[in-house]
Amino acid sequence: MSSSWFRVLVAAVVAIVALVAGLALYGSSIGGGTANPDTGLVPGSDAFMLVLALSLLLGFIAYAAIEFAQTRRLDSIARQFDTRTIVLMPIAIAINIVLGQTVGTALKIPLYLDSIGTILVGALAGPIPGALTGLLANLIWTFVLAGTPFGSPYAWPYAIVAAEIGLLAGVFGYYGFFRSRPNTSWPKLLGGLAAAIVILLGLVVYGVIPFYKGDFVFFGSSPTEGFFNVIAYGIAVGLILGLIALAIQLFVKRDLGVAFIVVGGAICGVVSALISAPISAFVFGGVTGSGADILVAAFQQAGSSLIDAVFQQGLLQDPIDKTIEFIVAFLLLQTLSRRFTARFPQGERAVGVIEA
Amino acid sequence: MLELDAVSYRYPGYARQVLADVSLAIGSGEIVGLVGRNESGKSTLCLVASGLAPVSVGGVLAGEVRIDGTATAGLRPFELASRVGLVFQNPNTQRSGVTATVFEEVALGPVNLGLPVAETVERTHWALRTLRIEALADRDPARLSGGQAQLVAIASILAMRPPHLVLDEPTAQLDPEGTRLVGEALQALAGTGAALLVAEHKTDLLDRLCSRVVALDGGRVAMDGPAAIVLADPALEQLGVERPARHRIAGEVAAAGLVLPGAIA
Amino acid sequence: MAPPSGNPTTLSEADRAYLASLAPQAASPYHALNPLTKAAIATIATLAAFVLGGYVAPLAILTVLVIPGAVAAGVLTRLTRVAVLISVPISISVALVSVFTRAGATVLFTVGPFDATAEGVDFAGQIIVRLFVTAMALGLFGLTTEPRAFVVDLERRGLSPRVAFAAAATLETIPLMVERALAIQAAQRARGLDTEGSLAARIGGVMPLVGPVILSSLTEVEERSLALEVRAFGRPGRRDQLWTLADDGRQRLLRWALLVGFILVLVGRVAGALPALP
Repeated sequence: MSSSWFRVLVAAVVAIVALVAGLALYGSSIGGGTANPDTGLVPGSDAFMLVLALSLLLGFIAYAAIEFAQTRRLDSIARQFDTRTIVLMPIAIAINIVLGQTVGTALKIPLYLDSIGTILVGALAGPIPGALTGLLANLIWTFVLAGTPFGSPYAWPYAIVAAEIGLLAGVFGYYGFFRSRPNTSWPKLLGGLAAAIVILLGLVVYGVIPFYKGDFVFFGSSPTEGFFNVIAYGIAVGLILGLIALAIQLFVKRDLGVAFIVVGGAICGVVSALISAPISAFVFGGVTGSGADILVAAFQQAGSSLIDAVFQQGLLQDPIDKTIEFIVAFLLLQTLSRRFTARFPQGERAVGVIEA
Repeated sequence: MLELDAVSYRYPGYARQVLADVSLAIGSGEIVGLVGRNESGKSTLCLVASGLAPVSVGGVLAGEVRIDGTATAGLRPFELASRVGLVFQNPNTQRSGVTATVFEEVALGPVNLGLPVAETVERTHWALRTLRIEALADRDPARLSGGQAQLVAIASILAMRPPHLVLDEPTAQLDPEGTRLVGEALQALAGTGAALLVAEHKTDLLDRLCSRVVALDGGRVAMDGPAAIVLADPALEQLGVERPARHRIAGEVAAAGLVLPGAIA
Repeated sequence: MAPPSGNPTTLSEADRAYLASLAPQAASPYHALNPLTKAAIATIATLAAFVLGGYVAPLAILTVLVIPGAVAAGVLTRLTRVAVLISVPISISVALVSVFTRAGATVLFTVGPFDATAEGVDFAGQIIVRLFVTAMALGLFGLTTEPRAFVVDLERRGLSPRVAFAAAATLETIPLMVERALAIQAAQRARGLDTEGSLAARIGGVMPLVGPVILSSLTEVEERSLALEVRAFGRPGRRDQLWTLADDGRQRLLRWALLVGFILVLVGRVAGALPALP
């Protein structure tokens, strides 16, 4: 057995063992157990995505450790980081931190906007550089910048979420999600749109709705809940307006790329919410410091437990936030000259090649 | 000896050739000036001559670039670094951004080469001394004037001791004082026997420095010859290059039918 | 190019002293600790505060692991101010979210549809104490450690020079980017674009601000990476550093003791052997 296969095997075993151990410790929706009659969720299933992400991280660490033990180097990982990617990373991390800290807070928008740089690296350089950029960004945010006005002691617990965003952006980049596809023919465009809607509906039904089941009455008819109805309808109207704006973009430019970006952003958002909610609940009592914390209070007041309220808040905020960040990254990649983007390891796959 | 043999080059993602059939040889101790209008291929020639295109940039190279007889095509970027140095025009993007003092900034290249500390220190001292910027050693590299920063950038390359040096408009972003500092430094380097290729718009500077000048037009060599002849040639103006002041004035004086006592040229 | 004479194998005394002067100078014995030791103290203090929970344990950790260091470093007042500034905004969020919404038997007072419960106050109090201890622990690390020194030390311990570069370069990039953002923001204000006003206007104001800052930074990537290539940045393998930071056996022992202690606490809590303190 070659040494690289040994590493992959051990990494897989470590990840699976960690996953099983984690689920055994916290419970899971797969391994049976009695579902909560109120929510329909099996105890612990809410931490499934976090446990999975941590298991994958452990597997990766095991892989790296074995490679280092075998060769005293990390070549197979280092190879993915050419100088151009390494130079892009600090700029990407700075973009994350500056937007996340300055623009996000200064503009008081209930969004994070702290992953655009990570998404750019993932798209252009690949999943592993993307994940490492996200991880590094949050660790630098906390540890290296600790003494400066840009440091935040509360960024590090979310490093695993940032890594997941970079990883997914890298995978989407590999499959060409960030390509502009202008002037698509109408049948193709409508077909693509229909496919996107089916995917988004599936995501909502299986990823989002389960967290709103039970006694929970967000759009409740009780007259005393008027305050929350206003918020709920406000969000719904905002969402619909946003979707209409995107649809216009889609039809005016006939750019099917928008459909890919929205699907990618929504998937990334749902996964991010599922990973980050247990972290928010355990570490910060359910708040993230963003403008959306009021929603956690609203959901709790409406009858959810803390952890459920955090999920419900996250599943509203994260898909919107990540979709917007994906769109910004998409627009940036289209604006940048091909001479720049094409030279990155995954650049040609991510943004496509100009047909001569 | 830095040789370009019938070199043509195009960038990745573009079909157009930026360099076409360029041949050029620069011997030790020689300073060759490179002139031409914007987009004539000067910067590309610098990247190709230093081997970075296509080794790091990508693209397609036809013909051969040889450094002391070795073709650059098979080398990796860090192997090129100790064979031929390359200085760019913007001092800000050449700064590594990870060092706190000029001394550490200049030492970064030798450190990257894996040299023992004692040798790194000696090379750094030597590079600072050669460019006469020892006084800047303890300064923050991010807080220097443009001219000083460009001298630090040149010193950073010198410390790696490449036998050949390519400079892409090293004074483009500098004021007259900065240009003078860099010009003097290059003159001092020439005295040490370095082989230099200097792309420049400022022909007055080339007039002082170069023994030979090459003019590019549309990616091809349009003129190639001794500096005194090429820089005096009025045809240079058709290539979008302004001749040195002394030649322009001499030309205008002659055109006006005047004879000055003690000719300027 | 005229080479300097020979290949020196030893440093002169003057050079040795000069290189030592390049390392960040320590303002106190606590500053002089190895960055990894300070990072270990901050990290373990933070993690232990979360794992143990309650009020007593985090405050004990603060008293034992953080405050003595802050006193030794002479930064206690400044650290406390910084930690309060950092933790107040998020603490307000925590208080709002927890105090009024946590179901509980003891209602303290009522504001509109919201009941403030004793349980909510207790829960919020625990979270806020933990966040404050975190801010103090990480703040002490930040106030007493030169970020560049931390990165250089990690590189000496085997961190890839490339990752070290990414971390160190971020330090310079952020202020640069903020400078640009402020300049562009000022220019856009002058043109009538505003970052105040309605939500829609604020969101609309983000893009024209984000675009130029990011684009101007990204266009430099190509030049920067070529400039690094010509300085042999891509060479694999170790580098001999110009200066290193002191480390000693006692600090190594302390770091291992902290790690082992934390693991014991973690296992104890998970296994239920350690009771939860109030």
